[in-house]
Amino acid sequence: MKRDIELFSTWKLDEALELLEDGNSHVIAGGTDIIPGIHINSNRFRDFNKLVDISRIKELKRISEEKDKIIIGAATTFSEIESDEILQRHLPLLVKAVSKIGSRQIRNRATIGGNFINNAPCADSVPPLLVYNAGIKINSIHHERMINLEDFLISPYRTSLTNEEIVTEIVIHKPRESLNDVFYKLGRRRGVAISRITLAILFEIKNNKFTDFKIASGAVTPIGKRFYEIENYADGKKIDRDLLIDISIRCGKAVLESTGLRWSSEYKLPVLQRLIYSLLEDNCLRR
Amino acid sequence: MIRRINLTINGDKVGIDVQPSMRLLDVLREILNLTGTKEGCSIGECGACTVVINGNAVNSCLIVIGQCEGSEITTIEGLEKNGELNKLQKSFMEKGAVQCGFCTPGMIMSAYALLLKNPNPTEVEIQEAIAGNLCRCTGYKQIIEAIKSP
Ligand code: FES
Ligand code: FES
Repeated sequence: MKRDIELFSTWKLDEALELLEDGNSHVIAGGTDIIPGIHINSNRFRDFNKLVDISRIKELKRISEEKDKIIIGAATTFSEIESDEILQRHLPLLVKAVSKIGSRQIRNRATIGGNFINNAPCADSVPPLLVYNAGIKINSIHHERMINLEDFLISPYRTSLTNEEIVTEIVIHKPRESLNDVFYKLGRRRGVAISRITLAILFEIKNNKFTDFKIASGAVTPIGKRFYEIENYADGKKIDRDLLIDISIRCGKAVLESTGLRWSSEYKLPVLQRLIYSLLEDNCLRR
Repeated sequence: MIRRINLTINGDKVGIDVQPSMRLLDVLREILNLTGTKEGCSIGECGACTVVINGNAVNSCLIVIGQCEGSEITTIEGLEKNGELNKLQKSFMEKGAVQCGFCTPGMIMSAYALLLKNPNPTEVEIQEAIAGNLCRCTGYKQIIEAIKSP
């Protein structure tokens, strides 16, 4: 790295929290964003000279199943998530999403916590975590707090994390196994691509009606975002072509409302609506 | 602050006195003179700097040496044993998978990591394993052939 930076590596969470106590350090886990960021002198990483490496703290890499919830250590890598049987069974949407991130080399290092703490618009793990209603546990040397991921994410590249804190766990209530899921990612190419559109959808169908319809987007919105109004609108309605068209039109408009009008909106809106429609048609009608 | 970092590189135990925030790529090339590992993009997109750490392919431009304490690292220089090239290296030569050669060390290390876990990969698995390695010359076909039949 070009700048002179001190790096402290530890195997113990308590020690990491102590090192962060003075508030002048930055946490590093996988480092796939921070290391090149410092190397190219990005202004996102100029305000610290001390890094605390948490990538090898065992308790931050645990995946466990409890009676009604799944807990994922925040420093678990995407490769570890991809190959984990508990997650494949209970959170297939998350597994699908992370397996499309970056490249094998990046997934071997990049962590799930790092992905949403960056809070880039294109953080691919965020839309699935949002539709799963993920909560996160945050620790500092003095306190512990739980917060919904949705409330944690404030604006692009900003979260409610303070310099003394580490996100330690992601907690998700076990979704019913009868839920269907759809993940869609569009990048400029297939490998190592920054997402242009990500969509995560969960739904259940009973008597040809939607129950528990959930949808979140990334990349097309400033940060990952759930569309509650549309979810409420869809729930309980009979599934036919008209309903799916209706949902797609509403989703497109909702995305536009959150990004604001741009010169490209005239093009993007119908493309997005058409895309959402095809996804819904493929997954909800032709079954 | 300079610290001693102990690790195993290509089977040899080494202790290096170094700034822990130095990129692994720079330690390999500048301190250990292992210049087979290349620097292309420096931001994790080209894969030229790929090495294998504890059996996993990683970009050495995206990891700092302080994170490698106690790790086992294999670079392209570590594949040759007793003067004989690894079967992957031979296969790359036989199949014409090397043109300018700049991507080759990284490409071979990605393939090596794949074969460690999966000795008989399908074409799709090969494509997935080298999706993070760019080649401007070959068009990838010969590379995939070389990985299929080492
Ligand atoms: S130099 Fe590391 S990925 Fe390009
Ligand atoms: S052989 Fe030239 S870049 Fe691959």
